[in-house]
Amino acid sequence: MAGNRMQKIGSVFSRTRNLLRIGVIEKPLWFDVYAAFPPLREPVYRVPRPRYGKVTDVIRSIFYQEDEVRARFYRVYGSGPRPFDLSQLNHKSTCQRFVEKYYELKEEGKIEEEKLFEETGKALLASGIILQRRGTDKVAPQDHQDNETRASVLHLQRQTLLEEVQKKKEGQEERTPELAEAQKNPSPS
Amino acid sequence: DDKLLSEPLSHPDFFNVKELFSLKDLFDARVHLGHKKGCRHRFMEPYIFGCRLDQDIIDLDQTMQHLQLALNFTAHIAYRKGIILFVSRKRQFCHLIERTARECGEYAHTRYWQGGLLTNAHIQFGPGVRLPDLLIFLSSLNNVFESHVAIRDAAKMNIPTVGVVDTNCNPCLITYPIPGNDDSPTAMELYCKLFRMAIIRAKDKRRQSEALDQLR
Repeated sequence: MAGNRMQKIGSVFSRTRNLLRIGVIEKPLWFDVYAAFPPLREPVYRVPRPRYGKVTDVIRSIFYQEDEVRARFYRVYGSGPRPFDLSQLNHKSTCQRFVEKYYELKEEGKIEEEKLFEETGKALLASGIILQRRGTDKVAPQDHQDNETRASVLHLQRQTLLEEVQKKKEGQEERTPELAEAQKNPSPS
Repeated sequence: DDKLLSEPLSHPDFFNVKELFSLKDLFDARVHLGHKKGCRHRFMEPYIFGCRLDQDIIDLDQTMQHLQLALNFTAHIAYRKGIILFVSRKRQFCHLIERTARECGEYAHTRYWQGGLLTNAHIQFGPGVRLPDLLIFLSSLNNVFESHVAIRDAAKMNIPTVGVVDTNCNPCLITYPIPGNDDSPTAMELYCKLFRMAIIRAKDKRRQSEALDQLR
């Protein structure tokens, strides 16, 4: 009843082969099958040490040409009007339709580069898909106006909130003396 | 008897396991999806195709080769009447794996793995126990995201292993690793289906060959 339990030395096959050669075990079931169809890498134990020094990512990132269009689409319109239906295998999202339309118009070549994005939006509107802009594109002169209008709107909102809170407090003060009177009244009776 | 056992080894694909799956099937079952970049194990890097927005994508061409080798090996072991043990510690698929094992006529262990099950078998189960001839790991991690103890134990007891390794697993000690997703239900159902069909095919062929031999 011999055996070799040293899993960190060699592979299962090499250890069994050596034991067979000595003659201390009989041939196991899987030995011939392994010899006929060995794996692509011999299963030898390796110490999992982390990489030291300058850590380079060995794996490439996957990016496509269409990713530029997709990035712009998501920045302008947010995630599309319809959600993704992952249970269907051939589900085409709004973004994918947008990208395909963009490349169609680009190949036709009649529209300029800068206007292609807006033209694709219009073409999709024509085919029935409504796209809602998420936020305005950042254009320099409009920024100050936007900030001012936003600040004034917030100020107005704050004022209205304060008025409402004051009204509520006055309302509560009126109610509590009434409650106190109501409580006093039934007790003597 | 010798001829019965040696004849299948001369064919490169005696049980025709290649026709059981295609690249499109693997893709539709989402086998190519790995974990995020931070979870990546160093030894899985050769099997990874690329990284899309921080998520690892497994190279399905390599997976096809590995899967074909693994299914072929499983089928040969089943043909030679070997004992196969399905191991996984994923609670989500424990019932599926047990059902697959029952349908094949083989065994499954999807619960807590006690320390000495393989290494101390003669004391735990009694003298003269026959240990499994192949261990199939449908998920090679346990519930704490460490390598399953059975991988190391099988290597100790000189038992070959077949295992589905995800991007956060260590494929070193597994004899026939299959780089692929082990978290999606579709992927697990695909693996169970493939292993079940391979084992049943091999057992049927064995019965046919024995019947033919008896007739002569």
